[in-house]
Formats: sequence, C-alpha cells, structure tokens
Amino acid sequence: MTLDQRRAAELAPSRAVAALRSAAPLAVGLGLALALHLGLDASDLPFHTKVLVDVGINVILAVSLTMVNGFTGQFSVGHAAFMAVGGYTAGALTYYSSLLLWDSGDQHGGFLGAGEWLFVGSCIVGGLVAAAAGYVVGLPSLRLRGDYLAIVTLGFGEIVRVILQQTGNVKFTADEVREAGFLDTATSLGGALGFTGVPTYSSIFWVYAFVAITLLVAHRLKFSTYGRAFLSIREDEIAAEAMGVRTTRYKVLAFVLAAGFAGIAGGMFAHQSGATLNPRELGFQKSFDVVTMVVLGGMGSISGAVAAAAILTILPELLRDLPHVWPAGVLVLALGLAFGGPKRARFALWTVGVTAAIEAIRFGARRLGVNLADYRLIFYALSLILMMILRPQGIFGVREAWEIGPIGRILARRARRAAP
Amino acid sequence: MTKFLQTLMDGMAVGSLYALIALGYTMVYGILKFINFAHSDIFVLGAWISFTVASMLGWAAADAHAPVWAGPLVLLTAMAACGLVGFTVERLAYKPLRRAPRLNVLITAIGVSLFLQNFGQLPFVFGAQPQRMPSLVADRVLASFSGVQVRLVDVIGAGSAVALMVALEWLVFHSKMGRAMRAVSYSTSVASLMGINVDRVISFTFVLGSALAAAAGFLYAMKYPGLNQPAHTTWVLLGLKAFVAAVIGGIGNIRGAMLGGFLIGGIELFGAAYLSPQLRDVYVFALLILVLLVKPTGLVGKAVVEKV
Amino acid sequence: MSDALLQVDAISKSFGGLRAVTEFTLRLAPGDLQGLIGPNGAGKTTVFNLLTGVYTPTAGTISLAGRRLSGLRPHRIAQAGMARTFQNIRLFGDLSVLDNVRVACHLRVNRGVLSAILRSGGSIGEERAITERARSLLRIFNLLDREAEDARSLPYGDQRRLEIARAIATEPRVLLLDEPAAGMNPQEKIELRELIRKVRRDFGLTVLLIEHDMGVVMDCCEKITVLDHGVTIAHGTPERIQSDSKVIEAYLGAPASDLPPRAGGGR
Repeated sequence: MTLDQRRAAELAPSRAVAALRSAAPLAVGLGLALALHLGLDASDLPFHTKVLVDVGINVILAVSLTMVNGFTGQFSVGHAAFMAVGGYTAGALTYYSSLLLWDSGDQHGGFLGAGEWLFVGSCIVGGLVAAAAGYVVGLPSLRLRGDYLAIVTLGFGEIVRVILQQTGNVKFTADEVREAGFLDTATSLGGALGFTGVPTYSSIFWVYAFVAITLLVAHRLKFSTYGRAFLSIREDEIAAEAMGVRTTRYKVLAFVLAAGFAGIAGGMFAHQSGATLNPRELGFQKSFDVVTMVVLGGMGSISGAVAAAAILTILPELLRDLPHVWPAGVLVLALGLAFGGPKRARFALWTVGVTAAIEAIRFGARRLGVNLADYRLIFYALSLILMMILRPQGIFGVREAWEIGPIGRILARRARRAAP
Repeated sequence: MTKFLQTLMDGMAVGSLYALIALGYTMVYGILKFINFAHSDIFVLGAWISFTVASMLGWAAADAHAPVWAGPLVLLTAMAACGLVGFTVERLAYKPLRRAPRLNVLITAIGVSLFLQNFGQLPFVFGAQPQRMPSLVADRVLASFSGVQVRLVDVIGAGSAVALMVALEWLVFHSKMGRAMRAVSYSTSVASLMGINVDRVISFTFVLGSALAAAAGFLYAMKYPGLNQPAHTTWVLLGLKAFVAAVIGGIGNIRGAMLGGFLIGGIELFGAAYLSPQLRDVYVFALLILVLLVKPTGLVGKAVVEKV
Repeated sequence: MSDALLQVDAISKSFGGLRAVTEFTLRLAPGDLQGLIGPNGAGKTTVFNLLTGVYTPTAGTISLAGRRLSGLRPHRIAQAGMARTFQNIRLFGDLSVLDNVRVACHLRVNRGVLSAILRSGGSIGEERAITERARSLLRIFNLLDREAEDARSLPYGDQRRLEIARAIATEPRVLLLDEPAAGMNPQEKIELRELIRKVRRDFGLTVLLIEHDMGVVMDCCEKITVLDHGVTIAHGTPERIQSDSKVIEAYLGAPASDLPPRAGGGR
C-alpha cells in the first residue's frame, strides 16, 4: 500500500515551478558567499577572513553532526575522525595531483581557475570517502545505544588519529611521487608532524558555498518526511519503529550523511591558509568541540547549531582582547524589550547582569594590569558550564530561530490560516 | 620468557593504575549515569599536587633525601586535596544539572575538564613547564630472577593500588555507606524514598573517586617521574584509556573496572612489546570496539531490557 | 480458517524462567472488534508486543491475511498493516501534534531521500498529500485546532486520542489499542466508545482492544478473550464472559490458599 499517489500528483507543483524552487535557494546561497568573499577581499582584513573561514568550517561540522546527534538522537563523538578522513584524502589528492600535473604543490590558477576546481573535486572525493567510512563504522555500531555508541565512535576517532600519526613523510617532488607509486604515496601523509604543503584554496567563497549546501541539505531534510522520521527516532525509538519507521536504516543514513559533510569540512580545513593538517588537531577534543556546538545550539536546531558554531569559534578570539560589550548589551536589551514575550523582564535583567559583569571584569583587568588573554580558555570553560546550567535546552531549544519569538508567532498564525 | 614475564609485570603495574582511575569513572556512572570526563583531570591534579607538596617540603631538590614517611604523607595530602576538588566540582557544576538531559551534564564535564586543565597551567598554579617528580621511594631492585627485575616502585605501586581496591570493595559491599551507594545506583528516586540522603551519597562517591584518582596520579608520578604540563594530551589519553577500562569491564560495575584496568594495561604493554610500540593506543581502542560489538554492556555488565 | 484476517497460533513467550504468555491463540475476522482482558500482569501487553514484533515469540506463528509476521522487525509488521497504541503513552513529545501524525504517514511514501533533499515536484506533492491526510485525521479526532502544539503539552485524554490517530495514519488493517480509556474521565470514555466504533466503520478496521474499563469493553466488543498468568482462561461473548466462573475467580481471587503464586510484573 502506498500513499494516495493520484492525490500527491494533483498537489505537486508544475515542473517549472518545482525546478525553480529546488534551485533558487542554492543560487542565493552561492551569491551570498560570493558577495561575502568580494566584500572581505576589498576590505583587506586577513584576520577576520581567517576567523570567518574557521566559523564556516565549524558551521559545516556542527550542522552535519546535528543530523546525527540532533535529529536521530544518536550520540556520536567521533566527528573529528570523519573530518580527518576527508581532510587527509582531499589534502593528499590536491597536493599530489598538483605535483604531478603542475610540478609544484603551490596554488595554481586564480579565482575559479584549474587549481580551485581540483580542490573542489578533492573535497567532494574526501566527503565521499568519509561517508564510506561512516557507513563502515555506523552499520555495526549504531545498534549500540546512548553512551556505548559514543564510546565506540570515540575509540574509532582515536584509532584514526594514531594511524595517521604513523604515516610516512610527505614527498616533495613529482619524481619522488612517480618513483614511489600509488600505495606508498597514499600513505605518505606526514605522520605526527602533520601534512605540510597542502596548497591554500579554502577561500571565503568556497567555504561558504559549502556552508550554503550543507544548510540547504540539512534544512530540507529536517522539514521533509524523512526528517520527521529521523526526529521520531530521537523522540522514541520503539514508537517510531511501531509506526513503520525503518530506524536502523535511517540512523545509518544520518550517520553517513553527517560523515560525508564532515569529510568536506575536513577538506576545507586541509586547504586553509597558515594551518597544518595535523592528527593531533583532529583528535577527540575536536569532536568534543563539535558536540558542544550541537548541544549548545539545541538538539536538532539547525539555526542553533549555526549560532553556537559562530559563538564558540569567535568567543576565544574575542577573549584575546576583550572589547567593550555594552553596545551589544544595549542592542540586545532594546530588541528584547521591543519584541520579547512574557518573560521580557527576566530577559532584560539577565542581559544587564551579563553585560555589567563582563564590563566589570574588563575594567578590573585593566586596572590590575592582568592580561585577560592568558585566561581566555578558563573563561571559555566557565561560560560553557554556565550556559549548560542556565540554558540547558540550548540557544533555541529544539526549535529553529524563526519558530520562536515574534516571528514564530506570525508564522504560526499564517500556518493556521492556511490549514483547510 | 624473560621478556614475557617483564611485560606481564609492567602490564600489571600500569593496569593497576588504570584500574584505580577506572573505578572513579565507573562509580560516578553507576550512580549518576553520566561519563565524568573531568575525572582524568583529577588524576592529573593528583600527580601535580603530589609534586607541589613534595617540592614545598623541600624533597624536590636534587640532593634531597626524603624520609620514609614522605611517600604516604604526600599520597594522603593529594588524596585529600583531590577529594575536596571532586566535592566542589560536583556541588557547583553537576548538582544544578541533576534533572537536565545527560548530554548537558556531559558538556559540563567537558567544561570542567577544560577549566581544570587550563587553570592548572596558570603561572601561579602549576605552570606550563614540565617538571620532574622527586623519587620519594628509595627505588631498588628487590629481586631478580632470570633477568626479570622486581622493582620496589612497582611493588609499592601495584601493592597500594590493590590495597585501595580491596578497601573500596569492602566499603561498597560491606558498609552502610556502600549499601546506600548501591541503592542510589539502582534507583535514585526509590533510594530517596527509603530515607537515603542522595546528595550526600553522590558527594561521597565523588570524593571517593577523586581520592582514588589522586592516588593513581601519585603512583603514576612515582613510576614515570617526568610530569607533563597539566593540559598535555598524554594525560588526557591516559585518562581516556582508564575510561576505556571501565567500559570494557562493564561501566557501573566496580569489579569490572578493576578487571578492565588490568586487561587494558596488559594488552597495551604486550602489544607494544610484541607487535609495534607506536600502535599501543590502537590496541586499546580496538579491544574496546571489539568488546562492545560482541558484548555491548562490557564483560561483566548486565543487559537492561527496555520496558514497552 | 481462511476467512481470518489475523491468525495467531499458539504463541508463547518466556523471559528467562518466567512464562509471560503460554500458547495464546486468536482469530480476528475482517471487521471484528474483540477485547483482551485480564488482571494486572496477565500478559496482555506482552501479547501486543509479540504481535507487533517488539518481542519475538519463543514458539507459535502469527499471520496477517495469510502473510507470516512472526520474526519480522516491527517496522515491517507496521508496513504489513498492523498498528498499535501504547499503554504508557509513547508520543513524540517534542514534535507537534501534526508532525506526530505525519511521521506515521511516512511508511507509505514512494519518493527517496534524494528527492526530498532536491525538493522535487514529486516530493512536494507527496508532502502536501501527507499533510492533507494528517489534517483530515486530526479533524476526525477533534485535534485540528491543536495541530501546532507540542504533543507533550496536550491534556491526557487528547494524548490518548492522538495516539489512536497516529496509529490509523499508518493505514493499518488491524488496530491494537492498549488501554485507550486509561486516565480518561467518564465523559471522555463515552466519546471514546463512539470514536472506536466510528473509526472501525470509516476506515474498515479490525480492532483488538485491551481495556480495564469493563464498561467500555462490554459495550464495544463482540468477543472477549480473558488472560490470566499468560494463559487464556475464557473466550466468548461479553455475556458469557461476565458469567464465567473462572473469570470471576481470576478477578476477585479464590480463597487465598488456592491461589497460585503470582509471578512477574506487568510486562
């Protein structure tokens, strides 16, 4: 028995409308990425560019892990391992292909030149390899529940890290590569010292182009019948299965998708300027960072994951040189008072309190001559603990940013009116 | 044969330390059902407090001779200090989250772990430089047969570890507090209905686990005197392997944690001696995955059937 | 024999040494509305768990319209046309009322996940058809004006009705209701009886009902099976069950000395 297909066909939009609606968001996303790229290029702020690339990569990681931890409610802490698999695959592909094609491991061609397309291809291959790894790991281990799954993914991540540390030295010339053959080259990934020499291609445009794709996929997945099936597994696995949801299959599917996007993020990470692809940086601590973003964002909330990824990436940088926060505080206060719901008084009190506390710390540090940058990781740790205690459901809870607050109320009203 | 016996002895020595740390993981999991990722940092804290106390008492100097009671004194100080830290951490960070989803508690534990690491690294705490732990136990070869050396450090280390484990076993299974602990781990709500002060039991568990971790830290520093800075990854990895020991044994199960500790120590050192020393962590994690896939609840764990 | 839609042949289930269900046999003809009653811990819910594949029977077979179900995974059984509600409500609490029903429509979709990601015309059409169907079900169950609320925020009686709506959304042929009246007030119970009869008629369902409320069971069901300690002690029309001495004994208890030791909880 299937759904009433005749009714479905009646309700389907015309082919042209459907094609437009399918492609338009991606076009908009790519356009925004391009605009951001050109804007930053013109403004010449290398530090901000670096931070923004980091934000973009972390957004891809957090949103992809949301598909596993947030949608299906499984608990994976091995995300960095898939990032490593994808990153090393992509980095090695680009670097060694560059050596063979152009006799040099440096960048080749300008914006949208041959080198960049090689990089994009490598990242996609990296994503596919990571997705395959996700399938191999996910299939047997997703029958484990809760913490045990977490531990297995963690163990897998550590194994990947240790194995990468045992790889041989990076080869430097095309001749070396030709002489060594495929297998030897494929295992020459720099070992514990890291894979140096991967050319820099991860520009704002490419990173945010993939951010756009990731967001689009995650969003469409969540707000489709498949996404609801994923969420039902998180809510109650036994009830989901009794309603005909193929729980095992979907858990693996979410895991594979997430691993694939983590692999692409790894590819972006590998081709970043000024960074070395190092196994140490892709250990479980990186996985923890990503899990933290997902939980802080709210389980299953895509916009929450984006916000949390941005906050947790920028926060340690801000703490290097704590700026005045009162302008932001005033802005948040004004917005909260203007649009806030019934709890606006409490919200205002919190905003004032937090702003005042940060300003006080800043003032005190200045007077006492303490360099706050030395304490930034301590602040980071403390804010993590505080956020978990004060807002356990995450930034937006399980909902999306637009489903709560004033916008949410308007949308809900519209949806009710649209209902037959 | 010599190599085998030597490896076996080393494995047991390291394994007893893993077991000590694993006990803390397993006790907290048994009662609160969450993985206390900050536990490995308590272990590091134990090692560093031992060093600080020893150097404050002037035993860290190159020509210093520590008296016989130096070892026990430092050990007890470290255990007490870490017990206090464990108590404080539980009260401030975990207690407000008693009813929160477990993932939140886990993230909080990660936050606590980050805090302890980076706080320990501050210049006025332990500093960011590696240090050398003074030898508080006159190390000598006690006996030597067919090339296998029995060292005093190892005997004291494994001996203290086993003594502590026996004490814990008695505490949990034969004392009133132990009965309360087991009751709380069975069901927090029922235990509180039976008049057990759940908060006190949880605090006690944290103090106990932290003290054991501190002891492991001290014993570890005795055996491997090169102390890395508190945030160094080698520490985290050590703690992680102890956690793996707890899981392999069946997390929540005290005897399982001990078994797992020795098993992990054994497989790590045998793998390193007979296969490849670089892949020692791989053996541990591969064993973990294997055990979980074959017996998802660990070697001594009990399966829980979900009621529909 | 061949006119039975659901045919359960001597299924048994033991947990360790405990025999929860012993040789349970049942035949449901298309359109039947039968009851399954028994004291607490008699094994009623275990029977449901066996029928829906949560547990695998230790012995015996289950078949639906000639197709063997025993041994299949629960989602395959749902696909074959058996749906259930749960005694201790198991809604998807953080999902909206509408989404709870839409999840249950998922097993009937044709389009793949790639189509959903591309948001193809076909997947949009299916999505709209699902929503339309879900809303029409919610209207029948008087839940339409609460469709945007979280399922967990509904009053108890509404949650029970939402569970039934969700089960029907899977387009079952056999519907298993596990104590749908539990926790309802008298007025809601009366409405529930009407509702059960109405959905059976409108959706052409065959219903098996576990219920403690004798008013509901005796009023709704044409035939009743009584379980005690996992064993069927009586089967027949409500009138016969009400006067059956074994049933009265099981419910009211024989003199204490004659009682067998009662094993197990309410599995």
